[in-house]
Amino acid sequence: MDIDIRHIAKLSRLKISDSELEGYEKEMGEIIAMVEAMPDIKDELTVDPDNVMKLRSDEIGEVKYSRDEILKNAPKTVAGCVVVPKTVD
Amino acid sequence: MKLYEYNAYELSEMLRSKKISSKELTESVLKRVEELDGSLQAYLYTDPDMSLKMAENADKMIAAGENRSRLAGIPIGIKDNISTKGIKTTCASKMLENYTPVFNATVVDKLNAAGCVTLGKLNMDEFAMGSSTESSYFKITKNPFDLSCVPGGSSGGSAAAVSSGEAVIALGSDTGGSIRQPASLCGVVGLKPTYGSVSRYGLVAFASSLDQIGSFGRCVKDVALLQDEIMGHDSMDATSAYREYRPLFDGLNSDISGLKIGIPSEYYGKGVKPEVSKAVMSAVSELEKQGAKVTPISLPSTEYALSAYYIIACAEASSNLARFDGVKYGYRAENCNGLIDMYEKTRSEGFGREVKRRIMLGTFVLSSGYFDAYYKKAKLLQKRITKEFDDAFRSVDVIITPTSPSEAFKIGDRIADPLAMYAADICTVTVNIAGLPAVSVPCGYSEAGLPYGMQIIGRKFDEQTLLNVALAHELAFGGFRRPKI
Amino acid sequence: MIKGYEVVVGLEVHAELNTKTKIYCSCKNSFGLEVNTQVCPICLGMPGTLPTLNEKVVEYAIKMGHALNCKINRVCKQDRKNYFYPDLPKSYQISQADIPLCQNGYLDVIMDGEIKRIGIERIHIEEDAGKLLHSDKFDGSLVDFNRCGVPLIEIVSRPDMRSSAEAKAYLETVRSILKYIDISDCKMQEGSIRCDVNVSVHKPGEPFGTRCEMKNVNSFSAAVRGIDYEANRQIEVLEAGGTVTQETRRWDDQKGISVSMRSKEDAQDYRYFPEPDLLTISVPEEKVQELKDTLPELPNAKIMRYVKDYGLSHYDAAMIVDVVEKSSFFEKCIDAGCKSPKLLSNWVLGEISKFMNEGKEISDTKLTPEKMSELIGLISDGKISTAAGKTVFDIILNEDRDISAIIEEKGLAQVSDQSALEAIADEVLLANEKSVTDYKNGKTNALGYLVGQCMKASKGKANPGAMKEIILKKIEG
Repeated sequence: MDIDIRHIAKLSRLKISDSELEGYEKEMGEIIAMVEAMPDIKDELTVDPDNVMKLRSDEIGEVKYSRDEILKNAPKTVAGCVVVPKTVD
Repeated sequence: MKLYEYNAYELSEMLRSKKISSKELTESVLKRVEELDGSLQAYLYTDPDMSLKMAENADKMIAAGENRSRLAGIPIGIKDNISTKGIKTTCASKMLENYTPVFNATVVDKLNAAGCVTLGKLNMDEFAMGSSTESSYFKITKNPFDLSCVPGGSSGGSAAAVSSGEAVIALGSDTGGSIRQPASLCGVVGLKPTYGSVSRYGLVAFASSLDQIGSFGRCVKDVALLQDEIMGHDSMDATSAYREYRPLFDGLNSDISGLKIGIPSEYYGKGVKPEVSKAVMSAVSELEKQGAKVTPISLPSTEYALSAYYIIACAEASSNLARFDGVKYGYRAENCNGLIDMYEKTRSEGFGREVKRRIMLGTFVLSSGYFDAYYKKAKLLQKRITKEFDDAFRSVDVIITPTSPSEAFKIGDRIADPLAMYAADICTVTVNIAGLPAVSVPCGYSEAGLPYGMQIIGRKFDEQTLLNVALAHELAFGGFRRPKI
Repeated sequence: MIKGYEVVVGLEVHAELNTKTKIYCSCKNSFGLEVNTQVCPICLGMPGTLPTLNEKVVEYAIKMGHALNCKINRVCKQDRKNYFYPDLPKSYQISQADIPLCQNGYLDVIMDGEIKRIGIERIHIEEDAGKLLHSDKFDGSLVDFNRCGVPLIEIVSRPDMRSSAEAKAYLETVRSILKYIDISDCKMQEGSIRCDVNVSVHKPGEPFGTRCEMKNVNSFSAAVRGIDYEANRQIEVLEAGGTVTQETRRWDDQKGISVSMRSKEDAQDYRYFPEPDLLTISVPEEKVQELKDTLPELPNAKIMRYVKDYGLSHYDAAMIVDVVEKSSFFEKCIDAGCKSPKLLSNWVLGEISKFMNEGKEISDTKLTPEKMSELIGLISDGKISTAAGKTVFDIILNEDRDISAIIEEKGLAQVSDQSALEAIADEVLLANEKSVTDYKNGKTNALGYLVGQCMKASKGKANPGAMKEIILKKIEG
């Protein structure tokens, strides 16, 4: 099974250099070869009706963080907003 | 005996009877860290002033009789993928080198409330992906029993710190064996609790459906103490189980007469060193002498577990790690030509090779046209593996296997060969796939003196039985063997 | 039908729900507050945070499911839709893939009095993304995360509409239902309801054509313009011997054109998989039933009832029902004993709509259903004239006063006393002999003039009906 590493890297938003490509192809190929040994199981994925979660009640929580605090880890901010390279749409 | 050498349950008594102060104890452990960590490299971050301040507060708490927890004043190390407010939480990745959370993980809030003393943040494989702690961006932690060997991973820093006396107890996380395997390789006790019994809120996710925070200690009692403190329902985690949790420490009982132990042949064959199997089986016969009944069982789908594990874990990881995009926090590459370039450069430069490979593997198995062949198949296998365990637990109370197929390997030996590295997890991944609790306890030593570990697997939410068996074994086998470091 | 082609339209409506908190965290769900002030570590997707699902979001979506006659999947799950964009902090949207909360329903739309049934494929719950702000002063884009995690339902119709007018009627009906069951504010300009449009064209009898999806349609009128433009574009392509390619297009309402965003080959691979941070959603059977039982009367049923029970025209009924506050006031007046629903309807669509169009709400005034009914009663009984009614209305709008006291004070009571009216008539007929002659010569509209003159002479207090009868009697002898 050949994996189109370039396509997968693009989907993953990763840049793979030409020198890295072969290494990844080999390693991923080996892993895929291992997992392909999995047996076929005639069954469908279903929602587990017993594994139910509790839902949260619709009540406003206390505001614990100032805007400065919440944005302090952002690489670049201006006027209370995070800055990113210009987007088209 | 130095203070740092005592177990937590002993120290707890000494603190409560005011024979020692938390400050003295913390100073002793910090001194050990200062002396040793230059060569051991277990910690990514320490702040002695902060620790001592916490110790003083714990002393005040104890003096005022306000200590509700047995862990008040006990110094603890925390794996660096557990969110600590105001303390960097890097996941051993360049991506989060400068990330300081604004909130605590639920477990950290619980430990702080208990009066635990935070020693610092412990090294790990980058984003908990690995079995040797070699994929950390910052440093390679060594095995206290042999500095040329790995401590295991991904919670290698936690295991090494507890084993060497750089921490009394520690928190780790386990997605496919990341607590049990390093515990085994460093000769300590490591508990991976039932999925849902410890809140994941604040644990930086690797594979959400498999991740679980758990405890390291040098003895079973310490692990029980720590587990008692962190387990329980949390409304911040929708996968957290809503049920009654009975205290484990108080329930410890080493009488195992009549207990049924299952031995699955699949865990003792191909890929497992005969010496390891021998050590485990000799420990099992010791338990048999104490009145346990041993029966062979079969878990036939075990051979496919590693495949199912890597597909599910990587699929979830590819999505969980997509948030590291240079926008809101963490690393952002310089000199980018537009948005896509910023994303690609940031992620390529911020993540290490193992992380990138797993992200791509996960992206691949979820991508259009491949979902059914990989992800769906793996999920169906998960269902089958879970059922095989359920069936087995109808006739036995615990299942015993080796934890790691071998003792600690040399640093650098496997890092270039992912499949060889992944093989380190063959005995542990099934437990995460089935959401079960399991504990690793030391059960023997190689000729070179490197520890072997035994894994005891139990029914969901039956940590008590696991720890009882572990305690019975510990009493028979002898306690923690201190590394000569 | 344009040049023998039939237009086929399917719509995906995204409506923001008006819950108190966001869908996965307890941040306030509100619009228009200062940038990045309604955010927390969870909706910012900070490492280690986890979602917890708001129970009201599930309930609101089920209400809409009932309103659109859907099957409710009371046991379902959530899935992750993976894509990178700066307004999506986790780089995935928590949504629903193969098992939506509601599916296989329909909506009846009334067009020109005819019922047209539009199939509903599904309704699912998901989270909204943040907003990107652009400025020329600035080299990059700014991200405001306030809207991240605002709850959305996505309502997907089947391709059952055959014109832009049908699409508009469908959108208006959906909006009206959202307002009546009170789950969304439906403020188009605030983006609380948005839609994506799927358009294809084909010749009747032939299979459906290749469809194009149009995004960025921000108003119902833009939807109409977009559909018309897109249908014409596709027909032109086909007429020129070309083929329509499956693609996603972006509607530019200012320029009035759609432009290609991405082709099918570049289609995003969202890599959907079950959200591992959330477990199964399981709504008890009884809860599902309760939500159905407590559903209020829906707008279409209301319109039908107004026509049938109150004799309103379909148009007037629809106009009243279009605004929840108007219909609620209308019904309260009926409950308060209003005797003439038709006259009431004229007032609701006249005087009341007038001040509401200026941005005032009924609750901002002193007007009560009791007073309105009393006023309508006085007018329909001929106790006061319509003109006097308006005078009273203007007063009770602003003051909490007794209507009879106002009539007394202003002397607004209508004169119905026979002798008084006859005296006025005599006076007017004497002064307008030419009009009397005109009437007798067949110019019937002279009668209106004469009645008007009488009203004037009575300073508006005469009962116009009674006045008319007296004049007729006097002229015709």
